[in-house]
Amino acid sequence: MAAVRTSSEIGFNRVAIIAVLVVTIIFLAPIYWIASTAFKPRNLATTIPPTVVFQPEISPFVKLFTKRSQMRSPPSPEEYAAAPWWERVVFDGGEKIVRDGKGQVQWSGYPSRFLNSLIIAITSTVLAVGMGTFTAYGFSRFKVKGEADLLFFILSTRMLPPVVVAIPMFLMYRAVGLNDSHVGLIILYTAFNLSFSVWLMKGFMDEIPKEYEEAALVDGYTRMEAFFKIVLPEAATGIAATAVFCFITAWNEYAFALIMTNRRAQTAPPFIPSQVGSGLPDWTVIAAGTFLFLLPVAIFTFLLRNHLLRGMSFGAIRK
Amino acid sequence: MTQIELRGVQKFFGAVQVIKDLNLKISDNEFIVLLGQSGCGKTTTLRAIAGLETIDEGDILIDGKPIQHLKAADRDIAMVFQSFSLYPHMSVYENIAFPLRATRKSKSEIDQEVRSVAKTLQISDLLGKKPSALSGGDMQRVAIGRALVRRPKAMLMDEPIGALDAKLREEMRAEIKRLHIKQGSTTIYVTHDQIEAMSLADRIVIMHEGVLQQVGSPDEVYSHPANLFVAQFVGSPVMNVADAAVAETASSVSVTVGEAAAGFEFPRALLSKLNGHAGGQLALGIRPEGVLIRHDAAEGFLPVETQIVEPLGSFDIVDLKVGSKMLRARTKSGFVSGPGEKVFARIDPAQAHFFDTASGKSLGVRL
Repeated sequence: MAAVRTSSEIGFNRVAIIAVLVVTIIFLAPIYWIASTAFKPRNLATTIPPTVVFQPEISPFVKLFTKRSQMRSPPSPEEYAAAPWWERVVFDGGEKIVRDGKGQVQWSGYPSRFLNSLIIAITSTVLAVGMGTFTAYGFSRFKVKGEADLLFFILSTRMLPPVVVAIPMFLMYRAVGLNDSHVGLIILYTAFNLSFSVWLMKGFMDEIPKEYEEAALVDGYTRMEAFFKIVLPEAATGIAATAVFCFITAWNEYAFALIMTNRRAQTAPPFIPSQVGSGLPDWTVIAAGTFLFLLPVAIFTFLLRNHLLRGMSFGAIRK
Repeated sequence: MTQIELRGVQKFFGAVQVIKDLNLKISDNEFIVLLGQSGCGKTTTLRAIAGLETIDEGDILIDGKPIQHLKAADRDIAMVFQSFSLYPHMSVYENIAFPLRATRKSKSEIDQEVRSVAKTLQISDLLGKKPSALSGGDMQRVAIGRALVRRPKAMLMDEPIGALDAKLREEMRAEIKRLHIKQGSTTIYVTHDQIEAMSLADRIVIMHEGVLQQVGSPDEVYSHPANLFVAQFVGSPVMNVADAAVAETASSVSVTVGEAAAGFEFPRALLSKLNGHAGGQLALGIRPEGVLIRHDAAEGFLPVETQIVEPLGSFDIVDLKVGSKMLRARTKSGFVSGPGEKVFARIDPAQAHFFDTASGKSLGVRL
């Protein structure tokens, strides 16, 4: 290759940059839409054409976290003046926050659903990635009888749309009392992600030269020690990538969460749209719920970005 | 004091036998090189000693105790891999300290020993670096350091400098030898490079298709190859081997190769030394330096024509046509002007080897 770039190369680069920008805008547009709606006043959320410039409001988030009811008449000036700022923004929308007999603010269902989502997604990700890593190591390093068949069998669990088994699963779960329970969804998501995790981790494990473990074995370590001290750190990149994918799958899962849970173990995805139905649809509250729901995945991916990008073992072994 | 002994070791990979009844005794402080082509079983033998491969039959003994059932970790043997296998996520210091961390040594002891090994190998300034930042030679020094630091009973090296470029290989070869003399530990070194083997070994073990061919000092292996395989594997340029016919003449013995018109002259003693094999299928082996050539005719020299001349700097290799056969001779550089020159050649009887063609075995003729 010439060291000096030709004009056609420069032209190609410009076209490529424009293409990347266009694709990026297409991908970011829905996120912008959700984020902007989450901060819009209710009356601007559904205007046609869409309102782009507006005074951002925090009221959708206040509404998201509280139980509210419609007011027949506006509050008295004294009542309005005595209310804290976050209650006033609800008054401004013609609603009031529901309080119990002792005057305590009633929370909406959102925080507990959000917590359920976190518990279920994190636990099932840890389980799927953990078991997947061990399984993949076994397949990668030892002679397993019928290895190809077993791996195919593991993958075959993903060869049909999961909702196909939703009804039988629901009946089975009801029979053993797992419906509407955290454990039930954790088992479901772990089982669902495990095949993916095994296959992805096997690819990463195969990439780690087995000389590393052999060196550790000769250096005086058992295979288990070699696995934890050498293989696991080397597989960190793969584990991070697998974990991100498993987490996103479990976090976003909608169909089973809708069917299997209704209150106690309900996750955020089936809960957020259910808010459409109570009173007039308030799209700003739904957008606020969705916006907060996006954050954990974004944060998780952001924290693991170094692992996702780094090829740690590059250049340390001579072939 | 570490002696290693292999007794009747057999190893199969499925139906393929990769080690066939291997018997070998390695004495304390000895530098042994396992030499052979790829797939000859030398690496498998080394890995079996390290405990990375199981053996199907036989015993591996260290200081008289069978260890074939012990795990690699319990054998107290260190190994340097061809790929170096430095742990990429650890610094050089941590890499060298890693074998010590498996023992119950205190932090300060470990630190002291890591620094002392690093000093010996002149890698003290690299301790903070990651392996990926090292050059090939330094990676290898670190790998050796990691093997040495535990003061193991024996050092195993699997083509440790095979991945380096030629110049560095030569440097590291000398360094490994120096280190062995200084540290004096029983070492088994695997290579396919016979020059490496010759320059490093106390004794060379030559293997072919899982069978041990010959064990001996570099000089023994070079000067008295046990069979045709060893004769042609050891030495560069390769030994000339040609089917030979031995005939008695009035005053001497004539050895004809390649159905040439005349034979090379050998002393009568050859007949008795061949011990009845004279009439059988014989092969003559002669290294290029054993083919003597001159420009003018002389007693015992046959007229031949030069074919190809390969100048190699300090000497030339000249292909000579003898009957239907080519003999390669080693000459002073520039001795022959080019192809097609008429010269006179003879074979130095003292450097000639005779082999039984059927079995390939050397007949042990020394004139």
